[in-house]
Amino acid sequence: MRRAAWGLILALVLGVGIGLGYAWVISPHPITNAPPNALRMDFKDQYRSLIAAAYAATGNLPRAQARLGVLGDADPIEALNAQAQRMLASPQTFERAEYVAALASALEAGISGMPVRTPTVDIPINAGNTFTPTSPSSLTDLPVLLSETPELIETQTAVVKTESTQRPTQTPTPVPGRPFALTAEETVCDANLPDGLLQVMVLNRNRRQVAGVEIVITWDSGKEQFFTGLKPELGNGYADYQMTPDTTYTVQLARGSDVALGITPPTCQTPDGATFLGSIKLTFQQP
Amino acid sequence: MNSTRTLWVFIVLALLAGTGIGVAYGWYVNPVDYFDTTPDSLRADFKADYVLMTAEAYQAEQDPGLAARRLAIFGTKSSSALAADGLAYARSNGFTDAEIAIMQELVTALQAWSGIQ
Repeated sequence: MRRAAWGLILALVLGVGIGLGYAWVISPHPITNAPPNALRMDFKDQYRSLIAAAYAATGNLPRAQARLGVLGDADPIEALNAQAQRMLASPQTFERAEYVAALASALEAGISGMPVRTPTVDIPINAGNTFTPTSPSSLTDLPVLLSETPELIETQTAVVKTESTQRPTQTPTPVPGRPFALTAEETVCDANLPDGLLQVMVLNRNRRQVAGVEIVITWDSGKEQFFTGLKPELGNGYADYQMTPDTTYTVQLARGSDVALGITPPTCQTPDGATFLGSIKLTFQQP
Repeated sequence: MNSTRTLWVFIVLALLAGTGIGVAYGWYVNPVDYFDTTPDSLRADFKADYVLMTAEAYQAEQDPGLAARRLAIFGTKSSSALAADGLAYARSNGFTDAEIAIMQELVTALQAWSGIQ
């Protein structure tokens, strides 16, 4: 009798083991409810890019923050900056690095309503409804997906409210980003640097470096663009360009900035009297 | 003889019951932790939000080809069908009228766009 009981218990335990092996190793349950933080890295990048594109269109920073939250990045700003750099270094993607960088900047600055382009959204509103843009701090604009229960939170993001009485319709007017100011222009005589190097540093208003900023350089017979963030070892907001002697350049940021005029490689001297072409360092900062 | 056969029947039944318990535990109570998944495994609400983001970006860009490429991440269906799935979810899960409107616009644009491909 006792042997029989032990036999049954053993069979049960063995069965549980077989069942667990099947469920965990041989045939795990098909996954149909994964959160975005379980996505593969390249898909996370795609997800992040789309969050940035949606933010660029709507200027809704709290919602973008909430959406980034479900990706589970330890530091979303750092993740966005790193992705912007990867996108610049490998431009096969159809998404735009500047949107990603702009979202990172906006998160750093904590500013809402600063899309990088003006959205032209025509939202049909039913009679009796009023489209009421909500301020970022209002309860109705709380993040969509701060937790992993977006079904509930989605309902909290209502921007269309049914009003009992008609009120004038207010159109959201996005505020353009403030142009960058040229805060420093220095001549650098360092024989260790390549001759005629133009160094550009772009900082936001918190003095944090900004990656993915397009810089436009023009001269008499030409024009080129280059981007910050391609040399992360020198800083996310760093970019450089090789100037040629006897050419005068004009430099500005594509998204709007002061214009650095008359930039030309300086002539420098080593201690032993030899001359070489020095560098110019420009610093742009958002006021 | 008879009691031995009965015992074996119970042992086999215990084995089957244990297997059932193990499978149920491994599938439902404590399933495998997934990572590096593909977008088609996303929960329906996240998929719908992805469609909504695509629709928001489409409002500004007006580029159905770009929207279709963004939705192609899900892989299995046409972009217009994926957007329609997102729209259906939005309609039945309390998305706002404005959100539903722009998703509807995206579906229409993708249907027209796929018609000329």
